[in-house]
Amino acid sequence: MSLIAFIGAIEMGLLFGIVALGVFISFRVLDFPDLTVDGSLPLGAATAATLIVNGTNPFLACGVAFIAGGCAGFVTAWLNVRLGILHLLASILTMIALYSVNLRVMGKPNQALLGEETVFTPFENFIDLPYYWVTPIVLLTIVVAILVLLNLFLSSEIGLGMRATGVNARMASAQGIRTGKMKLTGIALSNALVALAGALFAQIQGGADITMGVGVIVVGLAAVILGEATVSMRTIVLATIGCVVGSILYRVVVAVALNVDFIGLQAQDLKLVTAVLVILAMTLPNARKKWAKRKAVKGTL
Amino acid sequence: MIEAKDIQVTFNPGTAIENKALRGMNLTIPQSQFVTVIGSNGAGKSTILNVLAGEIHADAGQVKIDEEDVTDWSTYQRAKLVARVFQDPMAGTCESLSIEENMALACGRGTKRGLSSAITADRKDFFREKIAVLGLGLENRLGDKMGLLSGGQRQAVSLVMATLNPMKILLLDEHTAALDPKTAAFVLELTEMLVQQGQLTTMMVTHSMRQALDHGQRTVMLHEGRVVLDVEGDQRKNMKVEDLLHMFEKVRGQEIDDDALLLG
Repeated sequence: MSLIAFIGAIEMGLLFGIVALGVFISFRVLDFPDLTVDGSLPLGAATAATLIVNGTNPFLACGVAFIAGGCAGFVTAWLNVRLGILHLLASILTMIALYSVNLRVMGKPNQALLGEETVFTPFENFIDLPYYWVTPIVLLTIVVAILVLLNLFLSSEIGLGMRATGVNARMASAQGIRTGKMKLTGIALSNALVALAGALFAQIQGGADITMGVGVIVVGLAAVILGEATVSMRTIVLATIGCVVGSILYRVVVAVALNVDFIGLQAQDLKLVTAVLVILAMTLPNARKKWAKRKAVKGTL
Repeated sequence: MIEAKDIQVTFNPGTAIENKALRGMNLTIPQSQFVTVIGSNGAGKSTILNVLAGEIHADAGQVKIDEEDVTDWSTYQRAKLVARVFQDPMAGTCESLSIEENMALACGRGTKRGLSSAITADRKDFFREKIAVLGLGLENRLGDKMGLLSGGQRQAVSLVMATLNPMKILLLDEHTAALDPKTAAFVLELTEMLVQQGQLTTMMVTHSMRQALDHGQRTVMLHEGRVVLDVEGDQRKNMKVEDLLHMFEKVRGQEIDDDALLLG
C-alpha cells in the first residue's frame, strides 16, 4: 500500500471519527438507536456544497451544515419524545424525509465543488508539507477540538444528566432531570456532528452526492464497536477517544484488505464487509464468553 | 406538611382488568414526622407513594406540599421537593456511572443544572465526607462504577444520595425488601440515623409489620385504596404485631390471607 493510500485511510478514519462520536452520543450515551445519520450526513454535505458554490465562506457553510444537522436530529427526537413514535421508526422517517430535503437543497442529485475554496484551502500555504498532508492535519485539529469540547460537555452537570437519561431514565427524572429535553438536545447534537462531518466530506471529496449517506450508520457503529474493543471504556474520555481510534482502525483495516490482492476484495464490497464486521463484532464477545464457560466446565470434570 | 386529599387512581379504567388502586385516600403528614405505611398486596402503598413522587397522576384529588398545590407537577418538577429511594437497588442509581457521578446527579436535585463541571474538588471532598458515614470504605472508591457495589451498598449510597439536598419529604419504597435480613437491618439503622439527623419528613412503605411498628412515629395501614388504621403516640408504642393484625381484621371484618404480612 502506498503512503498516499495509507494517509488517505487515516484521513477518512478521522473524518468518520466525527460520525462515530455522533453515533456514540445516540447509541451509547442516550441508548437511542438513531438512523437519521444516513440522511444528516448528505444533508450537511448538500448544505455546505450549495452554499460554497453560491459564494458563502466555507467556514460559515460548515456552521450552517452543523445547525441543519441539529434540526434533523431534533425532528427525530421530537417525533419520539412528543409524539411517542418508536425511536427507530422515528429516525427512519426523518431519514427518508431528508432524502427529498437533500434533493431540494441541491436542486439536483449532486453538487460538484471542483476548484472552489474550502476550509482546507487557507492551510495549504500554512503547512509546509506535501499537499496530501494538509487535509489529515486540519482534520486532526478539528477532531481534537471536538473531542475536548464534547468531553467538557459530557462531564458538565447537563452532560451528566444526559448520560443518566440513557442509563436510567426513571432515576434521572427522580433527580429532577428533564429526560425528554435531554433526548432532544442529545440527538440534535449527534446529528449536528454528523452533518459537520458531511460538510467536510464534501469539501475533501470535491462534491456532495445524494447517495453518499447510504450505510453511514453502519460505518459509524463499526467504529464505535471497534473502539470499545480496543480502548478501555472505563471513563467517558477514553470511550470518546476510542470512537476516533476505532474509526481510524476500521479505515486502515479496510484499506489493507482492499490492497491485498489474493483476498479478491474490491471497492464495491466495502459495505458488505462493513456489515459482516459489525455482525462479528456484536456476536463474537458473547460467543467467546460461552466458549470460555464451556471450557471452564470441561476443565473441572 | 404533605397533604393528599381524596386521591383516586384507577388503572385500566373501563376494561376487564380495571383496578381501583386508590379510592379516595386522605393522608396528611406534618413536618418532621416519620410515617410507616403498611398494607397487603394491592392495598395502594406503592400507588400513593408514586402519586406523591409525581410518577402517577391522580384521576381525582389534590396533592399539596407546604400549602403549594403540586397535583399537576411532573416528576422532574417535584424533584426539588421530593427525594426517594426505590425498592430495586438497580432502579435508584446508574450502574454504568461512577459513585461520584451518581452523587453529583443527586447533588443537582432541585437545582438548575448548567454547563459547569459536575465533579469538582470541593464536591469530591463533600462526597467523601458524606459517604464515610456508611463505614463501608466507599470514600476511597468514589471513582468505581456503581454496578460493582452489592445491593445493600447501593441502597446505602442511594439513601445518602437522597439526603444530600434539602427536601420536603423523603419517600422510601420498600427500600429493604430486596436485601438479606442483616443488610436490611443495616440500611434501616442508617435510615433512622439520617432521618433523625436531618429531622426529615419521611414516608416509608414496607411489607413488614415488625418494621412498620419499630421505626418512625406513626403507622398507617392501607386496604383497598383507603386508610383503615392510623396510629401514633402511646397507642402505637404499646402495640404489638398481633394487635396490629387483630385491629386490621376488626376494621376490615375479614381474615387476612396474605402470608407476607404475617411472616414479615
